[in-house]
Amino acid sequence: MTKSSDAKSDDRYLIWRLAKGLGQCLLALLLLVSILSLTACTKARSRFEPGVLRVNLGTEPPGLDWHTATDSTSFDVVSNLMVGLTQYTNDLTCAPSCAKSWEVLDDGKRYLFHLRDDLRWTDGKPVTAYDFEYAWKRLLNPATAAQYAFFLYDVVNARDYNTGKLKNADLLGIKAIDPHTFEVRLSKPAAYFIYLTAFCVSFPMRKDVVERFGDRWTEPENFVTNGPFRLTRWQHEYKMELSANPQYFDGPPKVKLVKMFMVPEASTAFALYENDELDFIDNRSFSTPDVERFRSSPEYKNFPLLRANYLAFNVSKKPFTDPLVRKAVAMAIDRSVFPRILRRGERPATSWIPPALPGYSPDSGLKFDPVEARALLAKAGYPGGKGFPKAELLYPNRDDVRLTVEATQDELKRNLGIEIELVNQEWKVYLATVRKDAPPMFRNSWGADYPDPETFMNLFTKDCGNNDTKWWSPKYDQLIQAAEGELDAKKRADLYRQADVMLCREAVPIVPTFLATQNIMVKPWVKGIAINPLDLQFFKAVEVGGQ
Amino acid sequence: MIALILKRVLLAIPVLLVVASLTFVLVRIVPGGPFDADKNLPPEIIANLNAKYHLDKPVPEQYFLYLGRLAQGDLGVSYKYVNRTVNDILSDAFPVSLQLGTISLTLAVMIGVPLGAIAAVCRGRREDVIAMFLSTLGISVPGFVIGATLIFVFAIELRVLPVGLWESPWHVVLPAVTLAFSPAAYLARLTRASVLEIVEKDWVRTARSKGLSQWSTVTKHILRNSLIPVVTVLGPLTAIVITGSFVVEYIYAIPGMGRFFITAVMNRDYDLILGTTLVFAVLLIVANTFVDVAYQILDPRMRLED
Repeated sequence: MTKSSDAKSDDRYLIWRLAKGLGQCLLALLLLVSILSLTACTKARSRFEPGVLRVNLGTEPPGLDWHTATDSTSFDVVSNLMVGLTQYTNDLTCAPSCAKSWEVLDDGKRYLFHLRDDLRWTDGKPVTAYDFEYAWKRLLNPATAAQYAFFLYDVVNARDYNTGKLKNADLLGIKAIDPHTFEVRLSKPAAYFIYLTAFCVSFPMRKDVVERFGDRWTEPENFVTNGPFRLTRWQHEYKMELSANPQYFDGPPKVKLVKMFMVPEASTAFALYENDELDFIDNRSFSTPDVERFRSSPEYKNFPLLRANYLAFNVSKKPFTDPLVRKAVAMAIDRSVFPRILRRGERPATSWIPPALPGYSPDSGLKFDPVEARALLAKAGYPGGKGFPKAELLYPNRDDVRLTVEATQDELKRNLGIEIELVNQEWKVYLATVRKDAPPMFRNSWGADYPDPETFMNLFTKDCGNNDTKWWSPKYDQLIQAAEGELDAKKRADLYRQADVMLCREAVPIVPTFLATQNIMVKPWVKGIAINPLDLQFFKAVEVGGQ
Repeated sequence: MIALILKRVLLAIPVLLVVASLTFVLVRIVPGGPFDADKNLPPEIIANLNAKYHLDKPVPEQYFLYLGRLAQGDLGVSYKYVNRTVNDILSDAFPVSLQLGTISLTLAVMIGVPLGAIAAVCRGRREDVIAMFLSTLGISVPGFVIGATLIFVFAIELRVLPVGLWESPWHVVLPAVTLAFSPAAYLARLTRASVLEIVEKDWVRTARSKGLSQWSTVTKHILRNSLIPVVTVLGPLTAIVITGSFVVEYIYAIPGMGRFFITAVMNRDYDLILGTTLVFAVLLIVANTFVDVAYQILDPRMRLED
C-alpha cells in the first residue's frame, strides 16, 4: 500500500521534473530570441519605414543584362535602374530622357538624337552617344544571342548582321557622331521606332564594364547604371535592394530605398501585405479569393493592361486545317465568361488589336453566335460535333489559366458538341512544346512591348519567331509591312485594321479571348504608385511616409 | 576516440567519391538536358553553350574533368543561374538553412525526448494519451498546413510575429517551429518505444530492488540507455533538417538551400544537383561521426568494440 503510493508520488515528481525542465528550456529559448531581437522588435512595431518601399517581385529575375533578359520581372528591375533615349510617361507618350531632343530626317529614315550633357553613370563617368552605339551593336551581335535583337531590325543592315550574313558591324546604321549626338539610319520609315528608344533593350551600356566583368557585370559590386536607382544589394533568390541614385539627372527619387523581395507563393506574399511587411502588391501576389475579399477596400485598384489572351490553332493539324472549323470555334466561345470566372475586371475581346490602340474596330473579329457556329461546323463536315476528333488544348500550369481553359472546354462542348482534352505543362516545357511542335490548340498571351498595334500584329507574320500557329499569308505580311512604313497615322491605322480583320474574321489562326488587368493593393502611407498599360512599374515618383 | 574520428575522415573520401560518381551517372541517365526546356535556341547557340560547359565532350572525359575540379573544391557552374557558380549559390543558401535547421533540431530534441519519456513513464495514462496524440498529429499533419496555421494565428490574427522573410531573429520563430514539428513528434515516439523496452530489462529491476528512487532509475539507468536509438536517428535527421526544407522555405519565403534539391533536378542543372548531393553527403558523414562518438559516451561497451 505505502509502496505503491510512494511509486506514484515518485512518478509525479519525475513528470514534474521533466515538465519543468522542458518549460525551462523553452523559456530560455524564448528569452534568447527576445534579447536577440530587441532592436528588430522596436522596428517591427512601426507599420512602415519612411522612405523605404517594400514590394514583391515574385521570382528571381533570370538576369539583369537587358540584352538577354526577356521577362517582365527582369524588366521591372531594369526600368528602375536605367533610362534610355526617351522615357514612357504613364499615358504612354514618349518624353525626352537621355536625349533632350531628336530630329526625324530623310522622310523618317534617319533619326538624330541630341543627348543632355549632365548625364552621369553611377561611377561618375558621363553617359555618351558611344555607350548607345556600343549597346545597340552588342544587342545585334549574334554572339550575344539576344532574343530581342529583332527589335532593331529596321536599322540599316541590322537583320543581316544579326543573322550572320554580314560580319562587319561598321555597316550598321548606328553611329555616335560625337559624345552628344547619336545617329540611327533605318532601312525604311517605321512609325513606331521612337517607342523602341524607351524600351529596355535599347538602353545604353558601358563597354569597359561589360568586357571587364564578363558574365558577372550585373552583380551589385560591378553594376554601373544611369537611372533613378542603383542596385546596392542582391541576395539571390531572396531580395534586391535599390538605393536612390543621387547623381540621377532628373533629381534623386523620393524614396531612398526599394526592397524587392522574391516571394514565390502568392498567399504568403498576400499575408505579408496584410501584416504590413509589404507596402505594395500586384497580380503576382494575388489569388482570386484574395481579390474577392478586398475588392471594396480603398487600398485595392485595378488597371487595364495591353496584354491580350488568345486561343491559338496549329493550322497544320487536323481538323483545324479547315478555316470553317476555326471560325466555328471562334464563334462558339462566349467571351463574357472570362471576367465572370476570373473576376479581376478582364475585358472580353474578339479582335487582336486592343481598344486603346489605333486600328481597333469593334467589328474586326467574329462575335459570339452559337447558331452560326454550329452551321459552320456542319458545313465543315461535323454536324452537331459528330465525327469531330478529340483535340488537345495545351496550357501552361497556372491556376487562372486553368480556369479559362476549362471555361473554353465547357463552351465548346455546350455550343458545338465537341470534346476538347486539356493538357497542362510546366511553363518552360509548355514553351518548348509549342515552339517545337504545337498541339492542335494552345492557350497563349501577349503583352505589348510598346504602345503601338505593331507589337501585336507583327506576331503573326511569317518570320516572327513567336508565331507558333504555322499560319502565314503573303497578303497579311504585305499589309503589316505597308503599315510599318506608313507615316500617315490614319492610313496606317486602316492598314492594321484590315490585317486585324484578316486575322480574326477571315483566316482565324487565333481566337482572341480577353484583355488582362493589373490588380494592385497599396498601403495608405504610399503615394504615387501608378501602373501603365505596358505593366511597367516606375518607382521614382513614389513616396513612403509623410502624413 | 581520436582514432575513430580519423578513421571516419579517411573513410569519407571513398564514400564521397562513390556518391559523386553515382550522382554524375544518374543525372545523365535522366532524359532531358539543361538547355532543353528553355527558349527555342538555334542549334549554333546550343552548341556554344554545350562547349562552354564541356557538355560536348564524351561522358568519361566530363567525369574526369568534374573530379579534377572537385578535388580543388570547385563544384562547377549553374546552367540555370548563368552568372553564378555552385559554390556561390550554396555558400549563400547553406548558412541560412544551417541556422534554421540547428534551431529547429534543438527545439525538436528538447520537446520530443522529454515528451516521449513522460509518455512512457505514464504508459496508458492520460499524459501518455495526450503526448501520443500530439506526436501523431505532428507526424501526420504536413508542413504546409502547420505553416499556414501558424502564420494565420500568430501573424495575421495576433500580429505578434512576422509572416515570412528572413530579416531579423523574429523571422526565425515560425519557420523553426514548423520545421521542428515532425522531427519532435518522431523523436517522442521513438523515445517512448525505447524507454518502454528498457523498463522491462533485468538491470532496471535490479536498480529498483536496490531501492533507487524513481528519478535516479529513470535518468541514470533508463533514459541513458534508451537514448541509443534516438541518437542513431539523430545523425540522418540532422543532415536532413539542416540542409533545409523545400516546403518551409517556400511558404515562409526563406532563401535556404532546401529548394535546390527540387529545382536543380527540375532544371537538369547537373553541377548544382551534384553540389547539393555532396553537401548532404558530407553532412551525413559528419553527423554520423558525432553519433558514433555519442555512442561511446552513452554506452561504455562500445568503447571496447572499437
